[in-house]
Amino acid sequence: MPILRKLTWVAIAVVGAATLGYVAVSRGETIGAGWLLTAAVCIYLIAYRFHSRIIAAKIFALDPNRATPAVRLADGRDYVPTNKWIAFGHHFAAIAGPGPLLGPTLAAQFGYLPGFLWIVVGVVLGGAVQDCIILCASIRRDGKSLGQMAKEEIGSVAGYTALVATFGIMIVMISVLALVVVNALKSSPWGTFTLMLTIPIAILMGVYLRWIRPGRVLEATGIGLALLFFSLFAGKWVAQDPALAATFTLTGQQLSVWMMIYGFFASVLPVWFLLAPRDYLSAFVKIGVVAGLGVAVFVLLPSMQMPATTTFFTTGEGPVFAGKVFPFVFITIACGAISGFHSLVCSGTTPKLVEDETDARLIGYGGMLTESLVAVLALIAASVLEPGAYFAINAPAGIIGTTVQSAAEWATNAGFAITPERLNELAARVQESSLLSRTGGAPSLAVGMANILSGVFGKGDATAIWYHFAIMFEALFVLTTLDAGTRVGRFMLQDMGSHVWKPFGRVSWQPAAITASAIVVLLWGYFLYQGVNDPLGGVNTLWPLFGISNQLLAVIALCVGTTVILKMGKARYMAFTVVPLTWLAVVNLTAGFEKIFGAEPRLGFLAHARWFQGFLDSGQVPPGVANAGVAARMIFNDRVDAGVTAFFLCSVLVILAASMKEWYAVLSGAKEPVSTEIPFTPRTALSQSP
Amino acid sequence: MIQPASGTPHAAPRSLVASAAAFVRRIIGVPDYAIYRSHMESCHPGEPVMTEREFANERLAARYSRPGQRCC
Repeated sequence: MPILRKLTWVAIAVVGAATLGYVAVSRGETIGAGWLLTAAVCIYLIAYRFHSRIIAAKIFALDPNRATPAVRLADGRDYVPTNKWIAFGHHFAAIAGPGPLLGPTLAAQFGYLPGFLWIVVGVVLGGAVQDCIILCASIRRDGKSLGQMAKEEIGSVAGYTALVATFGIMIVMISVLALVVVNALKSSPWGTFTLMLTIPIAILMGVYLRWIRPGRVLEATGIGLALLFFSLFAGKWVAQDPALAATFTLTGQQLSVWMMIYGFFASVLPVWFLLAPRDYLSAFVKIGVVAGLGVAVFVLLPSMQMPATTTFFTTGEGPVFAGKVFPFVFITIACGAISGFHSLVCSGTTPKLVEDETDARLIGYGGMLTESLVAVLALIAASVLEPGAYFAINAPAGIIGTTVQSAAEWATNAGFAITPERLNELAARVQESSLLSRTGGAPSLAVGMANILSGVFGKGDATAIWYHFAIMFEALFVLTTLDAGTRVGRFMLQDMGSHVWKPFGRVSWQPAAITASAIVVLLWGYFLYQGVNDPLGGVNTLWPLFGISNQLLAVIALCVGTTVILKMGKARYMAFTVVPLTWLAVVNLTAGFEKIFGAEPRLGFLAHARWFQGFLDSGQVPPGVANAGVAARMIFNDRVDAGVTAFFLCSVLVILAASMKEWYAVLSGAKEPVSTEIPFTPRTALSQSP
Repeated sequence: MIQPASGTPHAAPRSLVASAAAFVRRIIGVPDYAIYRSHMESCHPGEPVMTEREFANERLAARYSRPGQRCC
């Protein structure tokens, strides 16, 4: 390495270490977001330059002369050799959903520091490694899926566990994301009307693409975007008209029923009609907003109002979700640090696009670092809110009460002073009747984003417009995950069902399609409805379940990765996957155990059921619950949640046991380390004989 | 660097605007009919080629039928 380059890297390392050190020890009034951003970016640069290089050059020995599946199996459809920047953009758009925005927002209840450290350390040692290794492994196996690789590398038990776990994760993910949208839209005619209009807009785009100007996707998306802006203002007019506003003021229960109806139809209607156009629109808005937020934060460098750590760090009594910083910060923030779901994308579409093996480093590792930066931006946006307002928005009514007086009193007593007038003023600025207990992270992120964006682009009324823009954008791509997820869930269910009864697997047979869609919708609808009715806020229950399921998938992915590395004869590099795997297994098992057996009713499902049963046994109704019948249903829900958690934990143990057995066989010499990679084919050979 | 093999078609040359549009389209996940067509013409001459409508339908059906297309 030339001396100048060496010095540059030394300088980046020094700046990174210094800023990180300052962030970690700073306990002054407030620190600027610039410190966090600088530390994060320096760490990403160093990690990309040195850490990812080992994966690319030493573990897989990526070779530009080796023909990738995109080249060997080119069919112009799935397997299409793709320019590395297009593949990077496509991969990033696929992995970055609402997760990296919401998780860090929720985890901000511990202060910004725990979340920040986990995001930057977790991504380097965990998330980026997982994504890059699974991507490389899949490229070397003709683009096989995670489930197929688990089956072939570890064994059929692991394969089936991966399949069932993936289905479970889809259900939990859809329900928690739907809950976030419901909480953002309840009693908000502006938000509700704007989001409703996105459905006819998508249908119009679908019709345009089908009959008016077939295939002109960018034209149709341009029209869709213009209409989307119109719908933002239409929502404002609706909210200002008393009669219309009353029509579109819906309760959480009403909204969740509408969501289920929407999810069902999106799953059974032809995809060109609703799903695909929505998806294009959402991808555009997503990239645009993330870029806009990035520019705004880098330009403004706002100050963090949230303290570095809060008392909930050790008490575990945080109102947003129960539990101490260990293990709960590590499952609350999955996307942005390490998200098992990515391994499905890295073994899905992306490996079939990679033209040159060495691009996998940028796409897999670099893509995940970029998502991590998005998570840091979200954490900053949540932390620039005054802490009192943050807690009033994110804490459930069961804790802070239902009036601005009770909420302000709770926050002030907890050490985050705020006045009722200030809470009213904040709601008025974004033109909502109330911001209290809008749990799930989306509204507080929207308030944070609106503050940041209106600082750069406009003043006064702009805050309200930006707030509703942010809500619309989050809701838009949550709904896109919901409808596409329901459809994928339907196909997975039909596939699994076909093992029991063959005709159920026929995807174009209407009775099977409708039945499978209805089952999937009812499954996630069950969790959604239970979350909407929970006085402690469904997020307290569902987000940890989502985190546990997501990290379970990461455990599966890292087990597959470790096995692949071992069988390549690269046992000396095992630590790359075994270190994050061990950490995640410990985190996941601890969190799952606490969620099932924790003694505190807000933390443990069974303790909550016992607590409620105690009231019923003495003829009373538990606080915050309408009547004894509702309480009995909630006890049932608690047991279901405990069962689902137990299922995820058992899956972790099964996968770990099966993998360790395989590793022991290879390491002890009982089994030859035979790689299942497709043998080397030179790229040049292909070009001579087309 | 190695040039793409002739068996791995990139679409026929396009104007700057058209290439930029193709770039954006592929990032948001729109299937590229031009690539498919030129692949079929160069690698499978004489075989039946789907029409643009058929291709779009086939790609959309594939896109929304399995996990691994998007994330949380």
